[in-house]
Amino acid sequence: MARNKFDVDETLESPFQLSHLKRAFHYIGRHKFQMIAALVLSILASVASLYTPKITSTVLDEVVPMGEAGIPLLLRWALIFLVMVILSIVFTQIRSRIMAFVSQQIIFDIRKDLFAHLQKLPFSYYDSRPAGKILVRVINYVNSVSDILSNGIINLILEVINVVVIIFFMFSVNAKLSLVVLAGLPVFIAIILFLKPRQRKAWQQQSNKNSNYNAYLAESIDGVRVSQLFARQEVNCSIMKRLALACRKAWMRAIYISNSVWLSSQLLTQIVLSMLYITGVLWMGGEIVSFGVILAMGDYVHRFWQPITNLANIYNSFVNNIAYLERIFETMDEPIDVDDAPDAKVLPAIDGKVDFNDVLFGYEEGQTVLEGFNLHVNSGERIALVGPTGAGKSTVINLLCRFYNLRGGEILLHCEDGSTHDLSKVTLHSLRTQLGIMLQDSFLFAGTIMDNIRYGRLDATDDEVIAASKAVCAHDFISQLPDGYQTKVNERGGGLSQGQRQLIAFARTMLSDPKILILDEATSSIDTRTERLLQQGIENILKGRTSFIIAHRLSTIKSCDRILYISDRGIAESGSHDELMEKKGRYYDLYTAQMQAI
Amino acid sequence: MQPVPWLWSCTSKKSKIRIIVALLISTITSIMLLVNPFLTSRLIDEVIIAKNPEPLLGILGIMLVVKVFRECTRYLMIILLEKASQENHLNLRIKLFECLQYQDTRFFDRNRTGDLMTRLSGDLDWCRHFVSYMGYAIVDCVMMFVTTLIFFFFTSWKLTLCLIVVTPLLLLITKIYSGKVRPLFMAMRERLSEMNAGAQENIAGNRVVKAFAREEYEEEQFDKRSGAFRDAHLNINKMWLSFYPFIEILAHAMSIISVFIGGYFIIKGDITPGQLTIFTSLTWALANPMRQLGNLINDFQRFQTSANKVMEIYFRKPAIMDRPGCKDHEDMEGLIEFRNVSAKFDRNEVLTDISFTVRPGQTLAIMGPTGCGKTSIINLLTRSYDPSSGDIYVDDCNIKDWKLQQLRRHMGIATQDVFLFSDTVEGNIAFGNQDMTFDQVKQYAKIAAADEFVTGLSEGYDTIIGERGTGLSGGQKQRIALARALAMEPRILIMDDTTSALDSETEHYIQEELKKLPFTCTKIIIGQRISAVKDADQILILENGKITERGTHAQLLENRGYYWQTYALQNDLPMDGGDD
Repeated sequence: MARNKFDVDETLESPFQLSHLKRAFHYIGRHKFQMIAALVLSILASVASLYTPKITSTVLDEVVPMGEAGIPLLLRWALIFLVMVILSIVFTQIRSRIMAFVSQQIIFDIRKDLFAHLQKLPFSYYDSRPAGKILVRVINYVNSVSDILSNGIINLILEVINVVVIIFFMFSVNAKLSLVVLAGLPVFIAIILFLKPRQRKAWQQQSNKNSNYNAYLAESIDGVRVSQLFARQEVNCSIMKRLALACRKAWMRAIYISNSVWLSSQLLTQIVLSMLYITGVLWMGGEIVSFGVILAMGDYVHRFWQPITNLANIYNSFVNNIAYLERIFETMDEPIDVDDAPDAKVLPAIDGKVDFNDVLFGYEEGQTVLEGFNLHVNSGERIALVGPTGAGKSTVINLLCRFYNLRGGEILLHCEDGSTHDLSKVTLHSLRTQLGIMLQDSFLFAGTIMDNIRYGRLDATDDEVIAASKAVCAHDFISQLPDGYQTKVNERGGGLSQGQRQLIAFARTMLSDPKILILDEATSSIDTRTERLLQQGIENILKGRTSFIIAHRLSTIKSCDRILYISDRGIAESGSHDELMEKKGRYYDLYTAQMQAI
Repeated sequence: MQPVPWLWSCTSKKSKIRIIVALLISTITSIMLLVNPFLTSRLIDEVIIAKNPEPLLGILGIMLVVKVFRECTRYLMIILLEKASQENHLNLRIKLFECLQYQDTRFFDRNRTGDLMTRLSGDLDWCRHFVSYMGYAIVDCVMMFVTTLIFFFFTSWKLTLCLIVVTPLLLLITKIYSGKVRPLFMAMRERLSEMNAGAQENIAGNRVVKAFAREEYEEEQFDKRSGAFRDAHLNINKMWLSFYPFIEILAHAMSIISVFIGGYFIIKGDITPGQLTIFTSLTWALANPMRQLGNLINDFQRFQTSANKVMEIYFRKPAIMDRPGCKDHEDMEGLIEFRNVSAKFDRNEVLTDISFTVRPGQTLAIMGPTGCGKTSIINLLTRSYDPSSGDIYVDDCNIKDWKLQQLRRHMGIATQDVFLFSDTVEGNIAFGNQDMTFDQVKQYAKIAAADEFVTGLSEGYDTIIGERGTGLSGGQKQRIALARALAMEPRILIMDDTTSALDSETEHYIQEELKKLPFTCTKIIIGQRISAVKDADQILILENGKITERGTHAQLLENRGYYWQTYALQNDLPMDGGDD
């Protein structure tokens, strides 16, 4: 599996596609009525405000020359003017409120979908790239695209309408001079087409470098303790400097290119204007056009090129943001390896009986971790998995939880109602909620200890949480903390020892009240005495539940019903502690070695 | 310190010059915006109305030159500001990153990764935006407004005074709005940070989420935060829209006043129609800056909110740093001494009156129940925290008189919570010592029993391992972490429960290898298993933050205390005759 590092750019597989825009419109389309309303309001507002120059000219041309007699008329027009202004303000205000809602809702929707998709992505997705690169997509990129997908679209439509109306007016005044005005357009389009691929590449580059920066930042904060203990701050700072320099370089490149768009449109406007006056005046010499026409046309040049410049700006930010949009959609397109089958059923209450039939599995192409793996576990049986590090003990558990799909064979779960279900044909949610899984690393979320334990079962009462903590011997130390169960913890520490964190994670698993309990090195950081007390504490809970236990300290698993020695892609030995000791095989060697070591 | 002076003080001299030049350009070019309308009116008067094509090319030429000059200098201005802001941004990024790198552990206990990320990405970006955009936007607005007013004043001071009446109102509204919108921006900033932190933890804890099938719950939580962020945005918009009509009316008041009061003045004979045309054709130059004002206030408030967050880190002095006058130590012997050391975490006393001495080259083992303070001893020795009373000496020198970097450089620590970086295996092992040769990396991997499985990985030592070492088993991670600590060639080697996830054979192999290290070092071993600690020269038993037993393996077995009990439990011996 090729993993991504903080300083490796993620190459974008797909070229720019129209389908990206189509997908973007899928989010916009939900608000089409609001968008249309906003468009109509915008047009009304500009009509109202366009009316005011007309009032101005009426007042100056007709009312003012009337002298003193015009004063009452002056007041009347002033009132009308005011009404128009208020109308335009009201329309704009409503439009702005609608569009603020629409743009925020679009971000919300995209973010929701993106996050929901991330929840479904397999471990391998998270394992193969720095967390910061995922985060930056959910937060920063989505923020960046909001404006272009809401106001950007409306302005685009408005400006297009503007351009069309002005072209119409222009031609109705003088077709020949209009052609002169339009002559600049192909040049402008050519410039934009020339810049576009460079601009797109520059902004992609910029988003890449930014993503690298964020990835390194996140990792550095998470791993700051290690960096400090290894006195590595200087090296880290120089890496950060390198990444920040790359960001700056990419940014400046993008800026040089993007800004030349407005620069060229401004210069073109002026050139077109000059051409207009020159041709106009030359023709005027031959009495073809009147001076009123030239005046009007000069005005139109500005009115035509302003929306064109605006369009170029909209287009500009569109190109900038498409780089982000691509990344967002790329993440949404990331295949979900492990997902509910189309006809997946809800798994009924299981009774704890599990069959592994001829299971074949490997994490990567060409690698085999388990082959021809057969295991039949009865309801309530306690199974221990032992064997050398990396032999596949955790793999058995990963497959039972369906964190990965099998490459061959099947795993069957027996239910209380007598039915049997293939693991891959039931919904993931109904499967995993019936399993209690205690992972090797005891990750805690930021929040109180109470909240963290309750994560195991969200509707558990405080008393149930405390009961679970008592069972795993966590209650004593928790209640000794100044804030007890309300003590705040976070993912990095916050005053708890590793063993204490493990106990909290253990309580969390016990609270989930699973039919099958899976403990992967659940007590590795806990001292022997607490471990024994804990084992007695959960004895009652374990009764009637099937459990799978991985442990290196063999004394902790001796009492299991069946011990499996996992090695060489399968089960090398199987039996109770006494049976295996009798056999004098690999388990015997392992056990005696451990005893001798003490 | 206020955000703007702070930002200015962080700007290099070169960038200060850039900014000043750019703002001068902005001043000049915003005045120039009025030149071309003036030339156009001359063109109309002299060429078109007079039907005289002669001055045409001259005027057009001047207009073109003015335009080209204006736009090109403005392009230059933008590039100058971008350069200045990028340099500023770069320096701040590096400086803040450095600040973070040297913050004490307590700081990181209290701040969520997602929040710190927000400060160093989004918040910092608003500082960049301020330098690159807001400076010239403000100058543009002010200059345009002021020059137009001056121009108006010379045309008709009476009418101009009528227009100025609006300005105090505008300032008042601006002030009220700024005050009201400010807390809303702060609220939005908090919602962003919460959403960021929530998403960050969800990504980091994705295994737990999946194990408990909590995807839906996580989505709900995230949508709640994302919704709160959306609502915070909408609140700001609402606030803005309640002020918008007033600002807009004032902007329009400019044209209303100039047309109607102006019209009245003409009737009264105070001004001429020609003068009024100047007013009506240029009211936009007053109204547009006023309209811009709202955006500028919003941007400025947002900048202030973010800058304050950035400054909190920028000015934060770590609680643990080099004392003035601390000594330089080229090397370390490895003599460790704790003298009556006690430590508190929050209000909780975690260590009480700890004293012990370890001689160079000796091995100290620490054992005790979960949460008894074993790791706290390590945290004190590495100065991640300082003791509340008592002193710690290394080589007969109080560790507070050591330079922090030198102290830590001589220590190799394999922590309990293994954090690996998303780098190659080689890069991870050589983490503390970049200049190592590959052979050395391999050598230490061998001692840590990691060589075999690393060679078996698809790309050997060049395999990139995920953040936190995802994809590796617990035992594999521990071995790489141990190799990383060994690669420091430390004078003090600290192994905090480093072999808990290893099978006993591997553990035994490592113990044997550690005996013949190519360098001498004092070792501190924290462990739960008798097998891990029994060979130590001195074993401390820690219970509830106090040393309850000390001695060698044999002595402690004699003692029949905690150590003996643990020995019995692990060895399946019957627990009779215990004095506990």
